[in-house]
Amino acid sequence: MGEHETTGILESIVEKLPGGYDIYFWNFVILMFFTLFEVAAVFFETIPGTDIEITLYAVWAILIGVGVIKGYGIAAYFMHLKGDPRIYTRTALFPVLFVLLMLWGIGLSNPGSVQALPDWCTPNWEFASQR
Amino acid sequence: MSGGEAHVENSIWMRAVLLGGVFLAIGVLAFATMGVGVANVKHHAYEDAIHHYEDAKYEYEEAKANGASESEIKALKEDKEEAHHHEIEAHLSYLTWRTAGITILLMCITYASFIGLGGFLNSIYPDDAGHDDHGYGGDDHEHHGSGSPIVFSLGIMLFLMGFPSFQGALGNMLSGVDANLGDLGLSMLGLTIVTAGVANWWREDLPFIGNHEQIATSAPFEGQHIRKAGLWVFIMSEVMVFATFFSSYLRMRTEWCTGWQVDNQNAACRATESVGGAEHFVLAAGGTTADASLAAGDYLYEIDMLTASDFLRPNGGMLDGLGGQGDFMTLLPGAINTFALIISSYTIVLALKTAKAKDWEAPSGFMGKLMPTQKTAVRNYLIATFLLGSMFIVLKLIEWSHLVAEGFTIGTQAGSIFYISTGAHGLHVFIGLLVMLYLIFKADTVGYDEKNGQGIEYFGLYWHFVDLAWVVIFPAFYLY
Repeated sequence: MGEHETTGILESIVEKLPGGYDIYFWNFVILMFFTLFEVAAVFFETIPGTDIEITLYAVWAILIGVGVIKGYGIAAYFMHLKGDPRIYTRTALFPVLFVLLMLWGIGLSNPGSVQALPDWCTPNWEFASQR
Repeated sequence: MSGGEAHVENSIWMRAVLLGGVFLAIGVLAFATMGVGVANVKHHAYEDAIHHYEDAKYEYEEAKANGASESEIKALKEDKEEAHHHEIEAHLSYLTWRTAGITILLMCITYASFIGLGGFLNSIYPDDAGHDDHGYGGDDHEHHGSGSPIVFSLGIMLFLMGFPSFQGALGNMLSGVDANLGDLGLSMLGLTIVTAGVANWWREDLPFIGNHEQIATSAPFEGQHIRKAGLWVFIMSEVMVFATFFSSYLRMRTEWCTGWQVDNQNAACRATESVGGAEHFVLAAGGTTADASLAAGDYLYEIDMLTASDFLRPNGGMLDGLGGQGDFMTLLPGAINTFALIISSYTIVLALKTAKAKDWEAPSGFMGKLMPTQKTAVRNYLIATFLLGSMFIVLKLIEWSHLVAEGFTIGTQAGSIFYISTGAHGLHVFIGLLVMLYLIFKADTVGYDEKNGQGIEYFGLYWHFVDLAWVVIFPAFYLY
């Protein structure tokens, strides 16, 4: 986080930018810009200056896209996963499997919704006692 | 400095006690000015607005009952609606100042308790006891770690064990009902142990100047700082906690007919009516039908759940007269908080960069006056981070007070998951602020440099994670 040198396409672009600011500064600027962008996406019903409607799916795409960009910016540069040994990235990615399982298993696939969750989590005691 | 660690007299901790006193003074001052002074003025304005609204309502009802002309009734109705709007505005304005005052007071009391009590306990500690060669950061030994986290964890466990009766007794005390003070006991004992554990932890860490950092000797973190590896494992567990909230939210959200779903003419949100014991769909043009195969636009759709975003964003959904009043101002606190967290993430990066810089030069102009030395610069960047984080908490509670006043309470499914998720995140921010108090104290006394700057780095990892969690929470709960 801030003390290692990192190398990559973005870093080489940043080096050529005027002002002599480092990757952390530009990361900060990008995060600020995209935050403004996501707020604007919800705030405006149409694209400013046009009649083009910002649909629900467009809002989804913007929020998810911006979230991914911001998440990458924070994790890769501010948390310095990009310059640190790979083991930290692997550590950070370890819960992804469980997170995906939770999002899919609980978030998206249980048709009974919240009301059915207690049943879903309760062991089948009748089956256990008969067996 | 002596050998492997800085020489720190325990009396230096009296500065922490003084700092605690300063926080108390700030808290009382903020409460007196914002929470009492300005809030009382706003409350009078609110009462006036209520009377004005009641008068306007009475005049409107009277005119209707007396058979006044249509144009007169229309004008009176507009007056009534405007008066109602002013009443709501006045109420929210009062709540803003009152909540800000109370929040700053409570935050400052907590800051003062932590830094002040911690400082006091350490200042009365005998100096000789701090120089154990077998202890934390001793001259000739490897960094042995600390037992303080275990003491701290024990305190947390006791606090949580006693929490149900603690919050009940506290609630009774605050509402003037007879409370059994014994119900506070277990949690108070827990908090005392937490404070002692934290104070001891700070005392052990303060002289640490980067020598003998414990290094992992086996896979998978071989060669890495154990504290850093531990912090990443901790962050990993935090990801799971927030994923639990988010998956619950996602599960519930897919079942709700929100404003978005109705605008999108989701078939599951078609309004129904019982006709002769059978469910019929209500048609947009009037009447009902049992036919489910008409064009989507032919049906009437209805909202069955209001989310926080319906109260905050423009064009939000409405249900039973609630929601749908969002505009730029309602979205503003959440948006400011998002920017505040991002800026605070950058200021902590700057604090670390400054601490680690080998050839640091004081900036010119105004910034040079703010940061004349490297040590001051590190401390001031940390203070900036601390202020931004504190602002986040104040704005969050102001926003909550507005939402509750507008009818978005914890009593609904959407309210429950919103307050629990954003509350858990706010708690993480607040815990970060308490840790930051110590970092500021160390930056002001022993100081951070190239060798021990990793203390800021490890805290920064946690702080960035809190920012990262907000990257998900903000769009999911506030915007969508």
